[in-house]
Amino acid sequence: MNSLEFTIQQIINAVSLGSLYAMVAVGLSMVFGILKMTNFAHGDMMMTGSYATVLLSALGVPFPIAIVAGIAVSALTGILAERIAYRPVRGAPDVTLLLTSLALTYVLENLAILIFSGSPRSFPTPDWMNEVFAFSDGAITFTSVDIISSTSAILSLLGLGWFVSHTTTGLGMRAAAEDMAAAALVGLDINRLIVIAFAIASGFAGLAGMLWAAQSGIIEPDMGFSPLLKAFVAAIVGGFGSIAGAVLGGYLLGALEILIVGFGPTELSPYRDAIVFALLIVFLLFRPGGIMQANREVKL
Amino acid sequence: MVFKSLSRTALFGVAIAACVAGQASAADPIKIGGAFNLTGGQASLDGPAKNGAQMAIDAINAAGGVNGRPLELVVYDGKTDPAIITSLASQLINSDKVSAVIGFSDSDPVLALGPTAQKAGVPFVAVGATSPKLPDQIGDHMFLACFGDNTQAAVGASFAITELKAKTTYVLEDTANEYATLLSKYFRETFEQLGGTVLGRDTYKTDDKSFAAQITKIKASAQKPDFIYVAATPDTIGLIVRQIRQAGLKQPIVGGDGYDTPLLLEVAGAAANNVYYTTHSFITETSTGAIKTFYDAYKTAYGTAPENAFAALGYDAAMLVADAIKRAGSDDPAKITTALAETKDLPGIAGAISYAAGSRIPVKGVTVVGVKDKALYKAAELVPTFVPAP
Repeated sequence: MNSLEFTIQQIINAVSLGSLYAMVAVGLSMVFGILKMTNFAHGDMMMTGSYATVLLSALGVPFPIAIVAGIAVSALTGILAERIAYRPVRGAPDVTLLLTSLALTYVLENLAILIFSGSPRSFPTPDWMNEVFAFSDGAITFTSVDIISSTSAILSLLGLGWFVSHTTTGLGMRAAAEDMAAAALVGLDINRLIVIAFAIASGFAGLAGMLWAAQSGIIEPDMGFSPLLKAFVAAIVGGFGSIAGAVLGGYLLGALEILIVGFGPTELSPYRDAIVFALLIVFLLFRPGGIMQANREVKL
Repeated sequence: MVFKSLSRTALFGVAIAACVAGQASAADPIKIGGAFNLTGGQASLDGPAKNGAQMAIDAINAAGGVNGRPLELVVYDGKTDPAIITSLASQLINSDKVSAVIGFSDSDPVLALGPTAQKAGVPFVAVGATSPKLPDQIGDHMFLACFGDNTQAAVGASFAITELKAKTTYVLEDTANEYATLLSKYFRETFEQLGGTVLGRDTYKTDDKSFAAQITKIKASAQKPDFIYVAATPDTIGLIVRQIRQAGLKQPIVGGDGYDTPLLLEVAGAAANNVYYTTHSFITETSTGAIKTFYDAYKTAYGTAPENAFAALGYDAAMLVADAIKRAGSDDPAKITTALAETKDLPGIAGAISYAAGSRIPVKGVTVVGVKDKALYKAAELVPTFVPAP
């Protein structure tokens, strides 16, 4: 393996990882954009969908259908969360919403422990998802999951970009994000827009969860927590509330992590997470609007 | 109270009533704390360990208990969370007032519970936590039911040299876990002592799901390692093995008892071929003697074959404590500690247990398990010639 092959392989690794971060970050950012709340339960939408998929495929449902159904379950969990937990406290101080989402995380995770037990389960991916593609004598390799992650991330993110800029609903969501009261005054159905935002955001989390599980091979009740933290950093770095910013932040974070571990000295790699979170602090201090200068003020 | 009213209705005299009441208190169960991570990353080890321990307690009680009193295993779930483990420690010691504690298959939770037990003078037998530093870190009430990591790492290194004919290795270790970092350290020490070369070393963290950057570095290593040593916990090993194979690396992968989980085969599947790990015992349907009896009893009790060696260690740890209580002739924790330290040649499913004077880690043989065609087999059983200092 020469240094060019090494670099190409690490770029592939970075794109694959960044795609997952970007998909989780986008949902987090969308909800923040409209409700100005950090939805800590967002990671758990990854979990509900993956468990649904495993359950359905164990019942004999073909895998692609189980995946689509799993994403639908994630979206539904998001809608229910909004309806049951967030809507009653909408308009309350930011901290109330934040704590509600934290409580919801515990409820969902413990519910999963109660139903499925806390032990990790294997995520049974069909062989076509684990196919390995090798180039230049096996120096460069990637799996079909890597291709699926990257393409589905890029396609769905482009689709989302088109949706918010070309459809009435999408434009309405942006209007609500800018000023909810004014949007309501001009006759936009705020509740409907928020429900759609939650459905899309949670659907994205579901898709990301599925790809995450396919890459790692296991699912567990708290599987959404660590990606949520990373997505949170990605969203802040990109510009919290901005969809383009979240995508940018996701890929930047993926690249940074691979850069530290793949190219930095071995002594540095244990400090990877420390460096990532230090970056978060630097952005919050000096550029709270992120790269896209999205919100001038980010409240946590 | 029940016994008192019984004695009254039976119209026995006051003396007899007192006698019956006295017997009732003598027949009160002796409580043994069972601290296990039944959920979270350690669940695939601690679940079987708890089952094994409960089986031992049930067998002892069916045979009349210890010193005429039944044993009761008071089980709590540590959820693989040090904060929860610390609070369950005080629950066990201060509220339940257990006479001894058994539990855990990993060093970090033992470090969370141990100090509380030590402070109260209650003996604590770690089921499968293999850090040889534990007894000295925690104190004279801390015992291991299993060998130390220095022993299994030494066996891993000598197995690679003699059986796999390996001269070079590349080490990948989990820096977020005490067990994995120590295992890696002992392994490297022994491998170099025995004449091997460590070409490189890299790290990851327990929660990581992608090891692509590290694996790419192994591939880019100028000299190809003869095998890869991965010091990993049970929740990550399956994915690491799978990702290593997907990247096209076909060398043997060697590691410790963290691999002894059903997740290795479930997650890695055919990719697990050519993986070898050191562990406490190898229990299958074709085992003989006491191991076979254990296999059958476990299957009857839980409807599944023993998942891994930790089931046997859980059983052994409970038997170890019961034996000490019997020899102490009392449920007094201090006396049980003294009796535990004097344990000699106590037969166990995962090897006989003796504590040499002053040591609270048993000297045992190490089993090496290999993987071939999605199935486990016993590759070797070794006692190391060189063991690094803890």
